[in-house]
Amino acid sequence: MEATRREIEVMANLLNSNDTQAEINRAHFRKNNCLAINMIGSPGAGKTSLLEKSLPLLTRSLGVGVIEGDIFTSKDADRIAIHQIPVIQINTGGGCHLDSKMVSKVLPDFDWNAIDLMIIENVGNLVCPADFDLGEAFKVIVLSIVEGDDKPSKYPVIFRNAKAVVLNKMDLEKLTDVNMETMKQDILAINPHIRIFEVSCRNGNGLNEWISWLSQEVIEHREHEG
Amino acid sequence: MHEMSLMGGVFEVIEQTVSQHKVKRVLQVKLKVGALTNAEPDALQMAFEAYGKDTICEGAELLVERIDVLGRCQNCHYEFNVTGMFFLCPKCQDINIEVIQGEELLLESLEVE
Repeated sequence: MEATRREIEVMANLLNSNDTQAEINRAHFRKNNCLAINMIGSPGAGKTSLLEKSLPLLTRSLGVGVIEGDIFTSKDADRIAIHQIPVIQINTGGGCHLDSKMVSKVLPDFDWNAIDLMIIENVGNLVCPADFDLGEAFKVIVLSIVEGDDKPSKYPVIFRNAKAVVLNKMDLEKLTDVNMETMKQDILAINPHIRIFEVSCRNGNGLNEWISWLSQEVIEHREHEG
Repeated sequence: MHEMSLMGGVFEVIEQTVSQHKVKRVLQVKLKVGALTNAEPDALQMAFEAYGKDTICEGAELLVERIDVLGRCQNCHYEFNVTGMFFLCPKCQDINIEVIQGEELLLESLEVE
């Protein structure tokens, strides 16, 4: 019987079907001259708050759309819809991350002529979303400083793969033991090219720098792709 | 627990593979998992058992080989193991490090009968 045992070489990527769909999504964004970003952070880091504060500033010069990933509720999408922004909710029904297929299903529901920037807010989680390409141009992390300065070194994969990190809740710095130097040094050790923004969504400090960087990225993307 | 989604990918590949070969039973599944991914071996094991129930893979062994992160300095081309996720060339201190290994999520091979 032993002779019937045999090995089959396979060497296949487990993310193949996600990656294939992600490339189709990416082509869709490119065709529509749209910069898509994948916003990732822990629950409570301030992803939706950052959107709420950023949207009024971004929409002065850009058409913006939002895809909201959430496990069960439409609470975040409701907060965004108040700003008269096209927003679509994806409920993952227990799933800990968005994947490229979920995103592809809602793409036909937007008016792409009116959108220069698509912000995809992922499910609150620093681990799982890191492995799943949605077709975005790049990832942005939102990390609140009260989560602790050890978080970048504990979740290196996402920091290695992101283009920018927004450090939120800077207004609480004096109330915590967080060491901002350690936090920033660790982030840069993992990813020396990452842009770091220090903001407070509560009092608005630091938002302008983040907004002008993101707006510039939209313009550069359009020139590059166009 | 995105290991369940990853395991969905494993089983897609397994089904495709066994449909092209004459296979009665899968005895062993070998994965390669880079350290620069977030796939956790124990969670993969659990997901494998859950997915494998009542399939051609029931009772099969899952082997997960962890792959270290290997970087190549883009300045001096030195190749080194990236430890502690610090991406810095130990030879010339350059920070432009290309990851040449450690991002794998692969189904390497199947042992079947």
